[in-house]
Amino acid sequence: MSSSDHDPVLERAIEELERLPAVERAAMERVIAAAAVARVTPADQPVLDELSAVRGWPRAWRIAATLAMVSAAAVVGFMVRGAAPGSTVDAAHQSAAVATAAPTTARAVVQPVTDVPGAAKPVLQQFVFHSARAKRVSVVGDFNQWNPSSAPMVPSAEGTLWSVLVPILPGRHVYAYMVDDSILTLDPTAATARDPDFGTKASVVLVGKP
Amino acid sequence: MISRAKLGDIGAFTTIVEAYYARCLRFARSVLQNPDDAEDMVQDTFVRLYRALPRYEERQKFESWLFQILGNCCRTANSAFRRDAGRTVDDERALERVPSSDLPSAALDNEWGDAVRRALADVPDYNREIFLLHYIEGFSYEEIERMTGVRQSALKMRVKRASDLLRSRLTGKV
Repeated sequence: MSSSDHDPVLERAIEELERLPAVERAAMERVIAAAAVARVTPADQPVLDELSAVRGWPRAWRIAATLAMVSAAAVVGFMVRGAAPGSTVDAAHQSAAVATAAPTTARAVVQPVTDVPGAAKPVLQQFVFHSARAKRVSVVGDFNQWNPSSAPMVPSAEGTLWSVLVPILPGRHVYAYMVDDSILTLDPTAATARDPDFGTKASVVLVGKP
Repeated sequence: MISRAKLGDIGAFTTIVEAYYARCLRFARSVLQNPDDAEDMVQDTFVRLYRALPRYEERQKFESWLFQILGNCCRTANSAFRRDAGRTVDDERALERVPSSDLPSAALDNEWGDAVRRALADVPDYNREIFLLHYIEGFSYEEIERMTGVRQSALKMRVKRASDLLRSRLTGKV
């Protein structure tokens, strides 16, 4: 900035503070690897493989990336089981939180993803969104790292009611719907809260016993 | 590029990291009570950014959004540092900032740089962050108001106070 009250001392200080630090390539690679682990999508697999082969990449990150891929695959597999043929969704249930009380028409079965003793077990949460014009809808939230490809919603026969069952750990979660890959929409039937990190609003769902 | 990164493209995200990493590191080193945490904080910021990208609305300036997240991370880290460290560690850090009389000549060459950083460390966190956002990172007061929710009149006052303190420390007028 040039404006500093034209004070020569302050201008020299600003000049000094403007110097960019030297950056190690490895530090940036760690950032990219950590981000990839945090929000991994199937499309990222080739890049992850490439990163895994980078010499000097800490072993911990390779393990973490592998674990992330395994857990992502587990979630996808779980969702496929939840959306088995024959599952139907009651059109009256246009709330995201309807599955909390085990919806009668979704035939959702609460299943544990993991059998680790003492570990909190995910429960199937049904999300339902009404839109006659959307071409694609997915639910994004803190439970799937806001990843729009993690939980795509399936339209009803009439194409107006979109639904998905997502395994989520019990507790309070924030979420929204991603419409046509670009429009983030709050659930009109759910309470909203401000995300403490990003300052934006999100819908709130309470899953199981918080 | 940002649109591609929003859809989870790691290649596009890599380009973003390359473009902004150095600036983020510079900011974090100046804002954090413990500058050794700067790299971790920048990493945390980019991970949060990548996870939140689907929610990024492109009418907001990307750079503002990035520094908003970084600012939040640094404030949280400073609160934790103050809570955990206590007076003893603060005193040790203060001692570390005092220049030694037997510094090698290379370090003496950057005497001015050291003086500036010591003076900046004396500026209270809440004034220092705004000073850096405005003078070093080049954000306008209007942009900083949107990022922090603090009114422009208050922001200008904070920058003035930070400037006055820096000036007095660097000219020896306390």
